[in-house]
Amino acid sequence: MQTVDMQQLKSGEVNLGTSIMAVQFRDGVVVGADSRTTTGSYIANRVTDKLTHIHDRIYCCRSGSAADTQAIADIVHYHLQMLTQQSGERPTVHIAGNVFQKLCYENKDALSAGIIVAGWDKDAGPSVYNIPLGGGLFRQPWAIGGSGSTYVYGYCDATYQEGWGRDETVNFVKNTLSLAMSRDGSSGGVIRMCVITEDKVERLFVPGNELPKFWEGEEVLKLIAPVKKRHEFTDDMAVEV
Amino acid sequence: MTSIGTGYDLSASTYSPDGRIFQVEYANKTVENSGTVIGLRVKDGIILAVEKLVHSKLLVPESNRRILTVDRHIGMATSGLLADGRHLANRARDEAYNYREMYRESPPLKEVVQRLGLYVQAYTLYSSVRPFGVSTIFGAVDKTGPALFIVEPSGISYGYHGAAIGKGRQIAKTELEKLKLAELSMREAVFEAARIIHLVHDDSKEKEFQLELSWIGEETKGLHLPVPKDLCEEADRKAREALETFE
Amino acid sequence: MYRNTYDSDNTVFSPQGRLHQVEYALEAVKQGSAAVGLRSKTHAILLALKRSTGELASYQQKMYRIDDHVGIAIAGLTSDARVLSNFMRQQAMSSRMVFNRPIPVNRLVSSIADKAQVNTQEYGRRPYGVGFLVIGQDKTGPHLYEFAPSGNSYEYYAMSIGARSQSAKTYLEKHFESFADCTLEDLIRHGLHALRESLQQDKELTINNTSIGIAGPASVHEKDVPAGGSFRILEGEPVEVFLKSMVPKETAEAQAAEAPAAEAPPDGAAPAQAGDQDVSMAE
Repeated sequence: MQTVDMQQLKSGEVNLGTSIMAVQFRDGVVVGADSRTTTGSYIANRVTDKLTHIHDRIYCCRSGSAADTQAIADIVHYHLQMLTQQSGERPTVHIAGNVFQKLCYENKDALSAGIIVAGWDKDAGPSVYNIPLGGGLFRQPWAIGGSGSTYVYGYCDATYQEGWGRDETVNFVKNTLSLAMSRDGSSGGVIRMCVITEDKVERLFVPGNELPKFWEGEEVLKLIAPVKKRHEFTDDMAVEV
Repeated sequence: MTSIGTGYDLSASTYSPDGRIFQVEYANKTVENSGTVIGLRVKDGIILAVEKLVHSKLLVPESNRRILTVDRHIGMATSGLLADGRHLANRARDEAYNYREMYRESPPLKEVVQRLGLYVQAYTLYSSVRPFGVSTIFGAVDKTGPALFIVEPSGISYGYHGAAIGKGRQIAKTELEKLKLAELSMREAVFEAARIIHLVHDDSKEKEFQLELSWIGEETKGLHLPVPKDLCEEADRKAREALETFE
Repeated sequence: MYRNTYDSDNTVFSPQGRLHQVEYALEAVKQGSAAVGLRSKTHAILLALKRSTGELASYQQKMYRIDDHVGIAIAGLTSDARVLSNFMRQQAMSSRMVFNRPIPVNRLVSSIADKAQVNTQEYGRRPYGVGFLVIGQDKTGPHLYEFAPSGNSYEYYAMSIGARSQSAKTYLEKHFESFADCTLEDLIRHGLHALRESLQQDKELTINNTSIGIAGPASVHEKDVPAGGSFRILEGEPVEVFLKSMVPKETAEAQAAEAPAAEAPPDGAAPAQAGDQDVSMAE
């Protein structure tokens, strides 16, 4: 019997094998993403912008099929524009999250989309909503998603703290994404971030050669070096490091 | 009436030479001949009150309610053709439900009223339907606070501090204007509403009536509910007393 | 040919804001033979006068069972009644299937009222030409409702519809305050007395032309009624014992003359009369 696996991408379909993230802090939210888009082993776009504008103070991070998530984001954008015109006020992140969730759930068999919605609104202040693959909706203080996220749950759990300000949060996002990108084969490139607060949306960019660095293997070299020296010099000079 | 016999007043899809749609005006006539309905938007909530004309003493008094609930926090009362009112209530419920379904939030009254206005308006466009023979007062306490609207047979809607429709609307409006609505509490407003309904009821011309009251606000934790029986009766009694001393 | 310019069509308001086609539909109800409904604290009952077109014809059915707990009596166009009663049966069954419970009576009545309203507003249809009295019992006890082609429905202590029903109504208005505590037998007797008022001069109630519908526990004269007292229609032989219980009209009038103040209605409660649009589209 042949079964059709809907989760599977069509051959040649563009995938956001991704690391995405959103974190809420005192005055707003920080959303961030890597920039790699792949078709199979080929990097279709190495400087992708996965942070998509939904409304004045609402953004989403997209993971899964690029086509699906772009289409969903467009539809939600349309709905929120309509609502804004009709009601005369800005929609809440909660509303945006629910529209995303409705689309993702009702079309779950046809879609491959994992989306994080985040932003600032008058009612709730900063908030982050996670809509993973099946079309659930979860409000969380921080959310990570995409293939890269699996490698950094532990780091996030151990690091995140409530009550952070802007800069601490930006650092947290930058570090997490950098770690995820260094372990996940389908994540990489640059880091893009948005800081969304009541007053403005600020875009941040970290080029590939300025990613935060962690342990990079130098210590291994240092350990080997003295051993080499031992060989170079005479045996009577043996030194323990 | 200049409209009669001209042939311009037989369909909602026909303008008269001076640009009027007589069928909509006739629908308003239906409302103008019906029992009075008022709504008060006060400090902490909304009161709806209906002069329910009783056409038979065989009616079960508590049954046959005229004030309907649209959503947990939205109430409405119609003046005009009763069956049209129920039709509109069902549509309003659908609109509120659709909003909830889409956004998982309780709908702001303004949104429901605007959508309903579009629906009502559609019945003023075609010869295949007639306009709704009702005006409706909508009340709610939503995220914007207390809200009160009237939707007319033309589909037009306005927001109000104090609203009155039906036969006694003129007198009722005059009375509402005398009140400091923004300073009244819900409880105080219940008594004022009862008094106004009693005042507009014309004992000499009309048959018996029953006072029907509902409210939404802090007293009801934001839900649209009938005013409790004891308070309703007290308001009814006080209103009668007030009128006797007045006259 | 038309009586006026504004009465040929549902979708036209008259300059007074009236709907003549709907009002004419209400007249269709008055073409049908009378039906009476009343209720006590324990029972709701229907009584109807059946017509036959001649000696050789059978009598026209006046009552329908909708569900175990609901039944109706009709006046007006029988074919319209069949459509609407079928719809009511579907609603009732759907409630049992979806919610596993009998449908509340008011919900059932509202469902056909809402259906009928559409026919008063859209072109190409006519309003239904039939009125119902609906009885039933649910969690809140026994009920009696009237449904009219205008799309209105009301709950009553007692009501009559159909030809010459005003006379029956007058009887009911005079006596309804005593109905609440009546036994089923007394309630049926009141019902028959009311129905009798709607008869033409030379006619009388017989086992052939009288139907009795009951919702509530069994009468002493009934056998094999389930404990809950589901809706049943009595016709023919079983009706006889109730007909016999009636007080002959002359005697009743004599009694009434002896004690006129006994059951006088409270003042100010005039019977229903012409025209407030608010409560009915009729008259």
